[in-house]
Amino acid sequence: MLIERKALETFLPALAGLGQPELCEHAAALGFPVDGQEAVDGTVVLDIDVTANRGDVMSHQGFARDLGAKLGAALAPFALPAIEEGPARVEVLLEAEACPLYATALLTLGAGATPEPARTFLTHMGAPAKGLPAVDASNELLHLYGHPTHAFDADKLRGAIRIRYARAGEKLVTLDGVERTLSPEDLLIADEAGPIALAGVMGGDPTKVTETTRRVLLESAYFDPRTVRLMARRHNLHSDASHRFGRGADPRMPRVARDLLVARLQAWAGATLEGAWAAGSEPAPAAPIAVANDLLERIAGEPIPPGEASEALRALGCGVEASAAALLVTPPSWRHDLAIPEDIVEEVLRLRGYARIASTLPPLDAPPRTALTAYGFRSRLATRLAHAGFHQTVTYGFVSPESEAGFALNAEGRTLANPLGREYSVLRGALLPSLREVAGANQRRGAKEIRLFEIATVFEASPDGPVESMRLAFVWGGVRGGEDFLTPARPIQPADLAGVAKDLGFPPEAIEVRALEGGLYGVEAPLEVLAWPSERCIPAFAPFSRHPVVERDLSLLVPMDLAYRSLREAVVKALPGTGVLRRADCVDVFRHKSLPEGRQAWLLRFAFQADRTLTGEEVDGWMEAALAAARSLGAALRT
Amino acid sequence: MDASDLKLLPPDIAEAAATFEAQLDACGTLDALMRLKGTFTGREHSLAARLMEALKAAPKEQKRELGALANQLKNAWEEGIKGRQEALEAVKRDHAAAASRVDPDLPPPMPLRGALHPLQRLQDRLVGIFAALGFHIEEGPEIETEAHNFDGLNIPGDHPARGSSDTFYLEQHPDLLLRTHTSPVQVRVLRRLAPELEARGGIRFVAPGRVYRKDDIDPTHSPMFHQVEGMLVGKGIGMQHLKGTLEYAMRALFGPATAIRLRPSYFPFVEPGAELDVSCPLCGGKGCRVCKGSGWVELLGAGLIHPNVLHYAGIDPEVWSGFAFGLGVERTAMMVSQTPDLRLFFENDQRFIRQMGGLD
Repeated sequence: MLIERKALETFLPALAGLGQPELCEHAAALGFPVDGQEAVDGTVVLDIDVTANRGDVMSHQGFARDLGAKLGAALAPFALPAIEEGPARVEVLLEAEACPLYATALLTLGAGATPEPARTFLTHMGAPAKGLPAVDASNELLHLYGHPTHAFDADKLRGAIRIRYARAGEKLVTLDGVERTLSPEDLLIADEAGPIALAGVMGGDPTKVTETTRRVLLESAYFDPRTVRLMARRHNLHSDASHRFGRGADPRMPRVARDLLVARLQAWAGATLEGAWAAGSEPAPAAPIAVANDLLERIAGEPIPPGEASEALRALGCGVEASAAALLVTPPSWRHDLAIPEDIVEEVLRLRGYARIASTLPPLDAPPRTALTAYGFRSRLATRLAHAGFHQTVTYGFVSPESEAGFALNAEGRTLANPLGREYSVLRGALLPSLREVAGANQRRGAKEIRLFEIATVFEASPDGPVESMRLAFVWGGVRGGEDFLTPARPIQPADLAGVAKDLGFPPEAIEVRALEGGLYGVEAPLEVLAWPSERCIPAFAPFSRHPVVERDLSLLVPMDLAYRSLREAVVKALPGTGVLRRADCVDVFRHKSLPEGRQAWLLRFAFQADRTLTGEEVDGWMEAALAAARSLGAALRT
Repeated sequence: MDASDLKLLPPDIAEAAATFEAQLDACGTLDALMRLKGTFTGREHSLAARLMEALKAAPKEQKRELGALANQLKNAWEEGIKGRQEALEAVKRDHAAAASRVDPDLPPPMPLRGALHPLQRLQDRLVGIFAALGFHIEEGPEIETEAHNFDGLNIPGDHPARGSSDTFYLEQHPDLLLRTHTSPVQVRVLRRLAPELEARGGIRFVAPGRVYRKDDIDPTHSPMFHQVEGMLVGKGIGMQHLKGTLEYAMRALFGPATAIRLRPSYFPFVEPGAELDVSCPLCGGKGCRVCKGSGWVELLGAGLIHPNVLHYAGIDPEVWSGFAFGLGVERTAMMVSQTPDLRLFFENDQRFIRQMGGLD
């Protein structure tokens, strides 16, 4: 929100001697950091950040009030023009609780124009004067005092003014030229001909003040904040007025603002007051809030003398009654945000300054958590993959339906109602499509080798909504090696990925290497396939054999179409159990035209160890059995 | 030996003898030298052998002179060849020695090296810092209900954040949304632990995770980003504990000289609410581009848990109190690293991940 320092000083003269940096410090300490400042026309315009709960600070008066309380300085005396209310010149009927008070006045405009200082001020507020005194005065008042007002062209109004809810289908063209179709939740100002304004949001175009306007009817009312917020949202119409009424205007202000507006029109435009009147009454003030001294001490972290707290609250406009154990606090009419004792304590701390709060570590009073968490498990896994050469990616959880093509996934039940675009419309069912895209982008940027992984949530449709689960996916592609004098270059092969998966602890049946395009391969699996590490820091000791290991190789010629898994299974079955057989692996594959056609050579390596020294004869016997098992599948000894 | 002596020899031998030195010098390899050796001093058909035959066949009066000459030549050839052989063998040894030498300056083969994503690293670091203070990790789903994402956090029913212009909703399940912050984890954990709160003595956790907001993708906005949420519940918890905890954490993150300051702010789920500034980690508070000359950088939102949040979870705010805070991982990462464009974190260029990430 924009604040002109010159105008601010008219509300709080004590500011005159305060340096600009000090002013910014005070503002920030009060909760209104200064986002920017600009020197213009011999003064400074500040852009202060006001939180959504402080509608009352959205004016020069409001900001001055908080600053004055902080500085212990009084606001300039408030000179209210003396205006007598009289009989209603136009009947005003309040037909909705959301408008408890509607103050108005009828004036005939004379000659005159918006004075130069007001024009300059409005320019500083980013809302240049329109040259229509009734409009400019209303705007000036909004920025100075925070209470939105409105002026209608009185000659365009028909009959009584009603503040009522809209009837379905009613229409109103608002000041921005947009025709709005109204709903029964919309609060209206209407005359006999129909709606003339969206209450607290925006006036209507047909009854607006123009250069030919001779008589104006003023509006200075109080509207229920929630009603205004919902209207602004429903019509996506966020105005200066809706921001202020929506956050809560000061219910004491309608008459004051009307009187100030009347005085301005009299002064600026030679207006003659034909009558001022009001309908309804101020809403009941909020009930006092009891703040226990204990609560104040607990939140502040130290005892705060009740006198100091009372003084701070009074400076902010609260009524305070102190008893032995509590303060009874009545918030001022403009503070809609003060509702519970904690709100009051915050005010005391805010005025003292959060800088005075002590810094203490809380006592460690919760039980220790020793077990590895799912987060820790994933973190470890990520670190392992990074050490194995993979780059961790972070990709969006939503993808385009097209990106999942080829993954046998149905987007049904995973789509967003309001996505940023089709490209981001489906909660992803797999990670590899995202990695495939990232890999492609890296390849286009010249990467020769792609090594990527991601650990993230995927979504699976269910009748109750998408079910989330954590997955790991990694891709590897391009050429490895060839970058030093010892390692030859070669294309990545599926076995490279299978090796990584095996090393990470994937059970063999969970390893499925998927060929993606462009020499890229991928593996994806639910995290549950990986064994959860033991809770024990170090597992129980298991003695290992001190007897020698006997290693034997078996060189076989096997048919090209023989699956290694079936050969290995058959061979292992023919050998003694894992108590003795410590290893049975293929360590070399040889394919060459020198071999018989349709055959390849596999070198199998076995290791045996027992709780005794094995004899050559028994190992020979096992190797014979292994060979026999291999022969049964069409393999032959390679000699 | 002079030219008159050579007249005693057969002319071809004499010619060979005259060019021996030149031929010897021309032998660049041991093989060539061995061939020369065969020609001059080999057992059969060599010049030396023929010299012996010539000696046998020579007239008696020439034998003595020719014999001396033949011996002299043979010795010279043998000496010459031997010397040359040693020289060539020495060269060969030198080559072999050079060939077997390992040049330590050649670029060695390197183990494969990947990297953790910078966001993961920062998130892990934060989680680790709070772990030292006894905060364990809690996580929650990315798809949430309005109850957890808004109601339980004291966010009013008409709050603009609930609108479809701010929050992603699911098409087939209008009651479900993508969480807009990690705060629903607060609601879940508080509700879960409420029954055992007295026995536990308190609650403290951090909740890292992905969150979603309907923001267009640009250099400072992303529809998905990460937060780390923290919460502590105990008896007699006040603002001083919030300040102490955050001061410890910020010093652990940015260095022991880091200063913090709390400023009043507003979030519906805390009261009092605060914004935390840290002394600028880049200039140390002297003023720079990052802190816009102020010496301070805004880092996170925090406050004491609003009584309504405790109520909602079934915890008596008259007995229990606590604090909560939440920090944007991307924003912090961009600030400390001076990364100019948020999109770089989601493009996943391997070079970026290697440069900004790392292995731990």
